[in-house]
Amino acid sequence: MTEAEPYAPFPAPGAAKERHILVLDLSKSMLAPLPDPTEPGTEQQKIEVARTAVYRILENAAHTGSFFGLVTFTEAVRVAVPLTEIQRENLPYIEGLISMLQPSGRSAIWDALALGADLLRSVNGGVRGTMVLVTDGWDNSSNRFGIVHPDIKAYTPGPKQSLVEYILPPHSELTLRVIGIGNGGERDKGVDSNAMGVLMSELNHRSRDLAIPGAFSYQEVLTGSQLFNQMVNAFLDVGYEGSRPLDQLHPEELARHAASAARALKEPEQHATLGRLAGPTVHPASTGLEPAPAFGGSPLEVDVVSAPGGAPPPYLRDRYGPLGVVIESFLAGEYDRALDRLERAKSNLPPVTRFYWQARIYSQKGQVVEAARALLLAWGEVERLPKETRGRISRRLALLQARIQNDHETETLVHFIDETESHLERVDPKFRDQLIGLFEKLMDLRTTYQLTRLGQEGATGDGAARHEDAVESIFSMLQDCRLQNTSGDPQIEGALDFIEICLAEMR
Amino acid sequence: MPEARTPRTRSKGPAKKSEAKGPAADAARIAVVGIPASGKTTYFRFLSGHFGLNLPVVYVPNRGETAPLPLYGDLDNEVVLEETTYETTDPTDPEGGLETTTRFYVNRPMEDKRKLWVELAAGREEQGVLTKYPLPTKFNQFVEMKMHFRYGTTGGSSLSRPMILHTIDEAGGIISDYFTYDRLWVTSVEQEVDERQCKVIPHYDSWRPDRRDLWRRGLTLLSHFVHEADGIVLLLSPALSSLRDQAQQVNLARGVFRFCRTKNVPLVLAVSKADKLRDFYTEVEHVVRERGYTSRFDPYDFLVHKDGAGMGTILVANEGRGISVKEDVFLISSAVSSGEGIPMLLNDFSLFPQGNGGEVPGVPVMVNTTLPLARICERILEKRQTRGA
Repeated sequence: MTEAEPYAPFPAPGAAKERHILVLDLSKSMLAPLPDPTEPGTEQQKIEVARTAVYRILENAAHTGSFFGLVTFTEAVRVAVPLTEIQRENLPYIEGLISMLQPSGRSAIWDALALGADLLRSVNGGVRGTMVLVTDGWDNSSNRFGIVHPDIKAYTPGPKQSLVEYILPPHSELTLRVIGIGNGGERDKGVDSNAMGVLMSELNHRSRDLAIPGAFSYQEVLTGSQLFNQMVNAFLDVGYEGSRPLDQLHPEELARHAASAARALKEPEQHATLGRLAGPTVHPASTGLEPAPAFGGSPLEVDVVSAPGGAPPPYLRDRYGPLGVVIESFLAGEYDRALDRLERAKSNLPPVTRFYWQARIYSQKGQVVEAARALLLAWGEVERLPKETRGRISRRLALLQARIQNDHETETLVHFIDETESHLERVDPKFRDQLIGLFEKLMDLRTTYQLTRLGQEGATGDGAARHEDAVESIFSMLQDCRLQNTSGDPQIEGALDFIEICLAEMR
Repeated sequence: MPEARTPRTRSKGPAKKSEAKGPAADAARIAVVGIPASGKTTYFRFLSGHFGLNLPVVYVPNRGETAPLPLYGDLDNEVVLEETTYETTDPTDPEGGLETTTRFYVNRPMEDKRKLWVELAAGREEQGVLTKYPLPTKFNQFVEMKMHFRYGTTGGSSLSRPMILHTIDEAGGIISDYFTYDRLWVTSVEQEVDERQCKVIPHYDSWRPDRRDLWRRGLTLLSHFVHEADGIVLLLSPALSSLRDQAQQVNLARGVFRFCRTKNVPLVLAVSKADKLRDFYTEVEHVVRERGYTSRFDPYDFLVHKDGAGMGTILVANEGRGISVKEDVFLISSAVSSGEGIPMLLNDFSLFPQGNGGEVPGVPVMVNTTLPLARICERILEKRQTRGA
C-alpha cells in the first residue's frame, strides 16, 4: 500500500495495524459434538471449541493491540464486537459476551460475510483486511447476498446481490480463510464444501480480473483439536521452577546474576548457545510489523504461562486445546503420559512446538540424548519461522538448551533478555526500540571483547581501545534510557542496572 | 416553554385499547431513533426550547448561507412538545394497572425564564428528580415524545408544512433490537402487536398482566412509530467506551440503513454529544468565545478520514447507499458541557435585557441541532415532490 493511496479511516493515521474480522457460525448445528481422537471420551461441542478459540484470539488481540471485530450469524447477522483496537479493560465484556454465544436457528453465511466486509471497507470502497469464517453448515437463510453461479442454489426467495462482487470490489486487499467443520458429506451435518469451493474459485477469478492482491483458502476440520488449532496457532511454554523476575531480586542477587551473564558474553566458546541467538534480538513490534493474530497465518503466538509450585493454571486445557492437555500431564509429573498425548496431538501442533515439548519432557525425564536430538529438530524448525516470531521462540529454546547443558551463565543472560523484552510490550514503542537497541549492542560486545583477548596475544593492537569505545557508547545509551524512563518503572530500572553491571564486568 | 396541562388516566388490570392522538392530516412524521443514552431526550427538550423560546443555535462550521434555516415554531398550535408516559402502577400492587400521563410544553414565554434552563442544563441525576425520567431504560414505562414545528417559509400555513418529530423515549434498547432483527410487526396503523409476537421478550409469560399489556402496547406504539415515519433521524453517540454499546449502535445503524433502503425512506444521521469530541469541542469553544471567528471545521474529513467520532465503519460502508456523508451527516450537541457536567453558557443579551445592572445568566450552547432537522425535512419534501411529479 502506498502512502498516497486513500486508506480506511481506522486505525488512526500513522498506525498501520492489521485488521481482522472473525465471522462465527452460531446456528443450532454448532451445538453438535466434535469427536476428539486425541482424548477419547472428552468430545466437546463445536461451540465450546469456538468459544475458547474466540476468547484466546481476542485476548491475543488485547495483548498486541491489533484491530479485531467479531460477527456472529444465525438467520440474523450481528456485530458482536465492532472492529476496534481491543483493550485489556474490554476483556470482561468479552468474557461475558462469549458465555452468551448461544447457537440457535439457521445460517445466513453469505449475509454474514457481506457484513464482515462492510466492517473492513475503506474510504475508496475497497475491502482491506483479513476475514476468517468458521462454519459447520450450509447457507439456508441469506436474504440479501448469494453466490451467483449455476452450481449454487439459493435457499431463500428473492433476488440476491453478488457476494463476490460485494466483498471484493476494486481497491480491495482481502484475505479470506474459511474453516469448515465437517466434511460436507450430508446436508446439515457438515459444511457445504461445494459452495465453499465455488466461492474460493470465484474470488480467485475476480481477484485476477481486477488485478488486486487477495488470498482465499478453504480448510476442513473434523475434530475439536483440528478446529482449535486452525483458529489458534500457538507456541506455548511454561516458566521454569525457581526463576524469579528481575524486580523481585535483591540488589546483591541482581549483581551476581549480571556478573554471571557477563561471563556468557566474555566466553563465547564455552557458551555456544548464544550463537543460536545471533542477529538482532528484535522484538516484532520494533520492526513496525505487528504479528498477525494466531489464526491469521503462519506467525505463531508465543505464550509463557507461569505454574507456581507446579500447579497447572485452571484454564490450560480450555485455552490451549491439546497442547494444554500435554502440559497438564507434564506439570503433574506424568511424563510418559505427556509424551503419549504429545504424540497423539502431533498432527495438530506446529512442528517447533512439538519438538520443543519433546525435548522438554525428555530433559525432565533425564533422557539427555533424546532431549538434545528433539531440541536440534526444534532449532531446525525455527529457521522456517517468519522473522517476527523467531526471536522469542529462539530464546525459549536457548533457555532449555542452557538448562540441559547446565550453563547457568547463558541461562541468566537469555532469561534476562526474554523477561525484559516481554515486559517491553507494554511500554512506549520509541522507548522500547531504544532499549532493544541497547540489548543488541550488549550482545555485540562479545566480538569486541574477543578482540581484546586477541590483542593480549599480540594479534591486534587497538582491540582494547575499540572495545572500550564500544562499552562507552553503550554506557551513554544506557544513560539516555535512564532519562527516558520517566515513569520510574522498577522492571526497566532493574534491567538497566543489570546492563550496567554487565558493562562493568566487560571492561 | 412551560409545562401546561397534565391530564392523567388510570386503568386497573388488563388495560383498554389506547386512544391514539390523531396527527394533523398532512403533517410529515420524522422518527428519531438511537440506542439508550444516545441523546434522544435532550435533543427533543432543547430543540423545543429553540422553537418555543427562540433559544439560539450555534453553527460549527459557520453556515455559509445568510438566509436562516426555514424551520419555525408551529404558530397555529401553541404546543411545542408533547410527552406521553405509559407506565404500570406501583409494583407492589398485586393486581396492577396502567397509567397514562401527558405533559404539554407550550411556546408561551415563562415569567421567569431562568427556571427553564436550570432544568434543561441539569445532569442525568437531577433530570431524574425534575422530570421523572431516570436512566436506565425502565421496564415499567414507555414515553412517547412529539415535537411540533413547521418547515418551509414564513408567512402562513400554505407556505410551510407541519412537521412532527417523533420518538419513543426510554425504549432505545427495544428500538435497537427492533431494527437489528427486522421486527417490523405491523403493516398498517390499524394493526396491533399481539401477545404471541411479544414472546420474543425474555420471561414475558411470567410477567404481571399490567406489565405484559404495557409492553404489548409499547411495541405497538413502536411499530406504528416506525411504520408511519416519512423520514428517519438516526442519532449516533460518539466515543462509546463499552464494546457492547458500540456493537448495539452498529447493529441498529445497519438495521436502519436496511429499513430505509428497502422502504425508500429518507435518512439523516446526527452524531450527538459531539462536544465530547476534543477537536470539535475546541472549535465550538472558539466560536462561542470569539464572536468574529469563522469556523471552517470540516466534518466530512473529521468523520471519515480521521474517524473522529468512531463512526468510520458505519459511514464508510453506507456512503452512497441512501446517504451522502457530506450532506446527510451532522455533528450536533444539544447542550455543550465544558466538563464535569458544567454547561457552557452563551450570554445572549436579546434574551435577557439587562435591567438594573443585573447579571445576564446565559443560555446553554446548542450546536447544529437544527441542521439534521432541516435536512430531513428537505429530503422528505423532495421525495414527495418526486412522487407527485
